[in-house]
Amino acid sequence: MVSDREGGGISPLRWHFDEPPNEEVFPPMIRTKRFVAALRRTPSDLKRLFQEPLLLMGILLVNVFLFLFVVLPLFKIFQLSFEDNGRFSLQVFVDLMSKRYNVQPLIHSLTLGVAVSILGTLIGFIFAYAITRVDIPWKRFFTVTATFPIIAPPFMMSLSAILLFGKQGFVSKMILREMIQFKIYGFWGLLVVETLTYFSTAYLTLYGVLQAIDPALEDAALDLGASKGKIFRSITLPLATPGIASAILLIFSQSLADFGNPMILAGNYTILATQAYLTIVGMYNMKGGAALAILLLIPSLIAFCVQKYWVSRKSYVTVTGKPSAARIKVDRPLTKYSIFGLCLLLASVIFLFYGMILFGSVVKLWGANHSLTWDNYVHVFTIGWEYIKDTLLLSSIATPIAGVLAMVIAFLVVRKNFPGKRLMELVSLLTFAVPGTVVGIGYILAFNQRPLLLTGTAAIIVLLFIFRDIAVGVQTGIAELQQIDPSIEEASTDLGADSSVTFRRITLPLITPAFYAGLAFTFVKCMTAISAVIFVVSGKWNLITIAILGSVENSDLSQAAAFSVVIIIFILLALWLIQFLVNRLGGGRKLKFEKAETLQSI
Amino acid sequence: MSVLLALWVGTPVLSEAADVLHMYTALDPNEAKVYIEAFIKDTKINVEWVRMSAGEVLTRLKAEAKNPQVSLWFGGPSTEFIAGKKEGLLVPYNSPVGAPFLKGNLKDAEDYWTGFYFGAIGFGNNTHWFEKNKVPYPTSWQDLLKPEFKGQISIAYPYTSGTAFTTLATVCMIMGEDKAFDYWKKLDANIHHYNTSGSACVTQAGLGEIAIGIAFSHDILAKGSSKGYPVKGTFPSEGTGYEIGGLALIKGGSEPELGKKFIDWTLSKRAQDLMQVWFRIPLNPEAEIAAGATKAADVKLINYDEEWAGNNNKRLIEKWRQMIGK
Repeated sequence: MVSDREGGGISPLRWHFDEPPNEEVFPPMIRTKRFVAALRRTPSDLKRLFQEPLLLMGILLVNVFLFLFVVLPLFKIFQLSFEDNGRFSLQVFVDLMSKRYNVQPLIHSLTLGVAVSILGTLIGFIFAYAITRVDIPWKRFFTVTATFPIIAPPFMMSLSAILLFGKQGFVSKMILREMIQFKIYGFWGLLVVETLTYFSTAYLTLYGVLQAIDPALEDAALDLGASKGKIFRSITLPLATPGIASAILLIFSQSLADFGNPMILAGNYTILATQAYLTIVGMYNMKGGAALAILLLIPSLIAFCVQKYWVSRKSYVTVTGKPSAARIKVDRPLTKYSIFGLCLLLASVIFLFYGMILFGSVVKLWGANHSLTWDNYVHVFTIGWEYIKDTLLLSSIATPIAGVLAMVIAFLVVRKNFPGKRLMELVSLLTFAVPGTVVGIGYILAFNQRPLLLTGTAAIIVLLFIFRDIAVGVQTGIAELQQIDPSIEEASTDLGADSSVTFRRITLPLITPAFYAGLAFTFVKCMTAISAVIFVVSGKWNLITIAILGSVENSDLSQAAAFSVVIIIFILLALWLIQFLVNRLGGGRKLKFEKAETLQSI
Repeated sequence: MSVLLALWVGTPVLSEAADVLHMYTALDPNEAKVYIEAFIKDTKINVEWVRMSAGEVLTRLKAEAKNPQVSLWFGGPSTEFIAGKKEGLLVPYNSPVGAPFLKGNLKDAEDYWTGFYFGAIGFGNNTHWFEKNKVPYPTSWQDLLKPEFKGQISIAYPYTSGTAFTTLATVCMIMGEDKAFDYWKKLDANIHHYNTSGSACVTQAGLGEIAIGIAFSHDILAKGSSKGYPVKGTFPSEGTGYEIGGLALIKGGSEPELGKKFIDWTLSKRAQDLMQVWFRIPLNPEAEIAAGATKAADVKLINYDEEWAGNNNKRLIEKWRQMIGK
């Protein structure tokens, strides 16, 4: 299992590999790294690098690409916002903050982020605790429920919220007969849909953490006569605290970066990500949009740094030899069934939301004519076919490139020594911390003129896909590589193979599970991306998510629902294919990441 | 290897075939498809198109000015085209097909843009709501301020939608700018929310999310009653503004000849007849008008000054945002 406890992970996704828990023992990353680095930091490092031109070239190319497609776009945003007639100036921020229509979104975004992160973490914790510590039935079902939101397009919840709780909504009209009017447009609506979307992040983080807490401690407390409640309060909860803090920070960043849901459901509750977009596409104000993007970037980067460099270092997770297999389960009927009931309630809500999309997609005209029809799917596969084709093609190009590039970076970072290695790792992670809206604005600024003229091409979309989603692949690759003794690779080198051959023949096969996990993640992200790509889609290349947003904007809710269902089907098919490939090619280790599991149980 | 692949992906897409017309359209995608498919059938010229709101088209064209991606801008109110002309994004074309009937403000005096339909601003009302609450339909701009409509009205942001900007310019022309902004401040209290797309509020009215959507007459018919929603259109007695829907060639576009063909085709009787599907009023006098569509003679129109609206676009929007705070 790849978890955060070594201090390296920032990904919201933990990929679980099917291994018995007691084999999950590997030395803390920092220690290994320092140890290995100390062993290898010899003056001959650079010399050795020059003896391997292919390796040197690889390092240079990776750096050039990271610079061009990660650093440069961000730099362009800073340049545009801080430069006034060739001089450094904060004028644009003074202008920005003096206007109510800019200050409000900042306050709104932060408020919403805090609320969503707390509520989302709470729900994630309930699921994680129930599944790791409580003897409840239907665990598999709950695991699927808690992880499904990850593969769903991010704005599906909003669409569903309208279908359920809008004035013509299933719940408000059919069930409650208009007795209650829900205020879904605005803060409360966003709070609910973002919580239901992002609690999965907390679940996966906390599942990893709770799973890693040595049960011997809890067993000991039990033997000494502590009650289960006391154990929870004085052992489990304190040990899980860094994980909880991590989850809160991760969800906070995700909520800040969320674009699809606020586009649909914000109403008058303006938030930063969408305002930056509207400032650019509506007001034709690049400078103002770039400045808003920086306002959005600052809290995200703070959350990222706190999470990566402070919280995850404070991990109390105990890594001792072999954790004892016995794990106490909460089995007192009252506690057990109240937790089970709570999980069941939450799961029903989630199922209700996704089920509604399925229902909405076969309704003729939502709100006026509820007869059933396949027309919406006909629409999707006729008018929408171009969008589907482009999305599948571009995602399929980006996914393997991103996968290989991520493994190359992971390999270089863990196994090779060269100046700027740390920076390279950091830059590859940066893409993850920066909200999509910011990246999108950076891309149109950076690639709009010669010599880097890419706007309007498929290349800009593919590049955006690759460099947006590379961080998770790099992280899983790094974590996986650190478990593998370098002596195998050293043997290969000693026998005369150079770095590229070693990488291809030895390293890559060894880290296949991480490689495929990266592939799966990237593909899902490509298929559901919207916040960044909305800036770079063009007449020639368009994406399904953009079509959905257009349908929702026009209130063609049933069409939007059908598009969403189709995206999910394609994602599940792709995950199944990747899973199939892993099982066939991945050797003995079976990849068991949550998504594939989701697939199998549907 | 990944590096090589990335390079490989980058190169082939930079070159493009010449017999395809690339365009942005601000028409609803379902509607645009009708015209574009008919054009392809008639002329055998292929079309690649993207739908965006008129404001987005303008931004996109501005951003791409050094490297235009399209040759034609199809649909959107003339005020947006006037702004586009001012930005130097368009090139003139005087269509021989339109020459006999495009008079006065139906096209740009210097042919930078060409009009192809007419539509007036009106109110799309959810009939169920009005019956249930026993409230009379709004028939004036002042009616919209009534307290019973609190949180029941929807419109788009004037900075993302041509419809909403036309509305803003219309009230400015009727009341004078200062009074118009006072008016909107009061109106804002009754607004449920602002959309990015101008016609979205009609479906929202149809769905009962709101009671009144402020939109163009053809959108009220096409996206409301004709789809089966309980929506009825009314028009303000003080007079209302209107749009001349336009299309224009893009400066530096790589397919100007195909673009001209598209403009000529759009003005032909054949194409103008098609506009019945969306209840637009065609400008070609030979074309047929959809039954029930709102003609210029049906409503009281103000003397809508497109030039003023187009030239004051930025200023009015900034003022609006400052005041409303959105």
